[in-house]
Amino acid sequence: MPDQIVVRDLRKQFPKVLAVAGVDLAVAAGEVFGLLGPNGAGKTTTLEMIEGLTTPDAGEITISGLNWRQHSQQIRARIGVQLQATSLYNKITPREALDLFGGYYPRRRATEELLELVQLKDKADAYHVTLSGGQAQRLALALALVNDPDVVFLDEPTAGLDPQGRRSLWEVVRRMKAEGRTTMLTTHYMDEAEALCDRLAILDHGKILRSGTPAELIAGLGIPSVVELTFEGRAPDPSAFAARLGAAVEKRGDIWEIPTPDPRSLLPRVFTTIESERLDYNQVHVRRATLEDVFLQLTGRSLRE
Amino acid sequence: MTEQAQASLPNPLELLWRQFRIEWRLYARDRGAMFWTFLFPLLMLFGFGVIFRSGGPPALTLVRVEPAQTSARDAAFVKALEESHLKVLTLPAREAEARWQKGETMAQIESVGGGYRLRLNSYLIAQGQVAAQAASQAFLIAQARLNGAPEPERIPVVIESPGHARSASYAAFLVPGLIGLNLLSMGLFAVGMVTVAYREKGKFRRLAVTPLPKWVFLLAQILQRVTVVILQTALLLVAAWLAFGIVNQGSYPLFAALVVFGTATFLAMGFALSSFASTVETYGAISNLVFFPMMLLSGVYFRLDSAPQWMQTAVSVLPLSPYLRMLRSVFNDGATLAGHAPGLVILGVWAALSFVLAVKRFRWV
Repeated sequence: MPDQIVVRDLRKQFPKVLAVAGVDLAVAAGEVFGLLGPNGAGKTTTLEMIEGLTTPDAGEITISGLNWRQHSQQIRARIGVQLQATSLYNKITPREALDLFGGYYPRRRATEELLELVQLKDKADAYHVTLSGGQAQRLALALALVNDPDVVFLDEPTAGLDPQGRRSLWEVVRRMKAEGRTTMLTTHYMDEAEALCDRLAILDHGKILRSGTPAELIAGLGIPSVVELTFEGRAPDPSAFAARLGAAVEKRGDIWEIPTPDPRSLLPRVFTTIESERLDYNQVHVRRATLEDVFLQLTGRSLRE
Repeated sequence: MTEQAQASLPNPLELLWRQFRIEWRLYARDRGAMFWTFLFPLLMLFGFGVIFRSGGPPALTLVRVEPAQTSARDAAFVKALEESHLKVLTLPAREAEARWQKGETMAQIESVGGGYRLRLNSYLIAQGQVAAQAASQAFLIAQARLNGAPEPERIPVVIESPGHARSASYAAFLVPGLIGLNLLSMGLFAVGMVTVAYREKGKFRRLAVTPLPKWVFLLAQILQRVTVVILQTALLLVAAWLAFGIVNQGSYPLFAALVVFGTATFLAMGFALSSFASTVETYGAISNLVFFPMMLLSGVYFRLDSAPQWMQTAVSVLPLSPYLRMLRSVFNDGATLAGHAPGLVILGVWAALSFVLAVKRFRWV
């Protein structure tokens, strides 16, 4: 499948910070591609350079074989963008906004169809100021789809939404994929990245640390499982325990985490050590490793920190 | 495929028309904007126009402290006072003092020894001085009558505007002032404030990722504001004509040209000023700093003749005062712009400066 978005050695220096320090990536047509990283990692700057909002200091961007220098209007006609905060006129209704934005494009989807897609039929004629956060977010998504785009960019599409709102937004993204659109999104939710993205790039300090499918990234850890110990109240210092166990124990918040390639042989040793250390623990869980663990291993920090 | 996409982008003129219509529709929904643009100038015109309808100040009341005994001289004095259109209110000393302390008395005459003394309220000094002059004149007349000498003659007074205009009422003075004020607030608020808000809230960014040409968006906004100004001015002119019989005394093309010139100047000022603030809060402070001194000191509501010379000089180089002088010359006095070269230069410099700043410093994000 041809690559729909190709980015080579993208760089952007802001007055006080090097926001993007050489990013390369390629997104295949029809793929859902995620940029995952903590706040300030350079996700939004990268996305905005690809969207043509921010001019890069260096690097090449190609979208459907077109570049911003020569074909800016053609690119804009074919992409759909949801910005992190979309501001509209206060007293415009969703129907009017969709009609208005639709009019900017050579090709457009019917307003009714879009209202249906994002479940805003009831609020079609309400002023924008009266919409809830989730409704405004869904309208922003509908606006990003108004031109029947080949490529859709979503910046933190579920930020600030309740769990139900997030699920219904995921549904829309899956439908976009089914319709054959290429989607590029940023998120700092691992579950979202795992649930939605075909491929991911993990970004920190303006650089891609690793990229691949969620399964590849997790498998790349070499430690498919994590044994977790929880405590009543605060977790004690794990260094003595780790020394006796003979394995790395990481304290994260109020739990201990012991990553392992082989939980079957580790678990009996954990219980023996608990006995001999007289550890006052609460529960033991074994879970499979997640993208969060990948991120932790790559950066030494938690995604949420 | 590529050519096809390019060929089928919507026609910019059609986009401009659509954008212009939606700007108007949304503007009409904003009740605050509707009030300040259309209703407020009319309220100011009717309010002040009616209060100062007679052209001169309302009848002045002079409080007279009742003397222990009324002499022949007192009686002659009171008669002369009443003849000079002063309303004389004679009160016992205690009541007069109570009224004075409440601040209701502007001037009070009392008997002291063998003569009289006038007390003027320092807060109402302008009216008080008029009353004092009338009282002095009445005193001379009363004395002449008692002495059997010929009465001093009164000089007839004619009220007329500086340019011998026919419509000489205060409302006529106010109409060009309000038109100028409308242009200023259109530039500072409907253009400048809106630009800052759009930039701060990221609306420009949202538009920048669509193929809508930026000039179409800006031009639609400018055209909408210009039509607002045209409507506003027309409304004010019609209201002034219907309610006060005020009509333009000068050339309509010249008047229209001045309105266009003012619109362009204050529009550019709004855009220029918007580039100096990145948040609506900062812009609010900056724009009020510009708006209020101009509104109060540039001769919108009153002339600044009694202000210190340095202040008059300072205000005269701001764009609104020469603009209003020119507008009044044409509208009230039916004159041309002959003799307004310095004003035209001042306004021209402001327009050019604002335009250059607006173009050089305009930011979308």
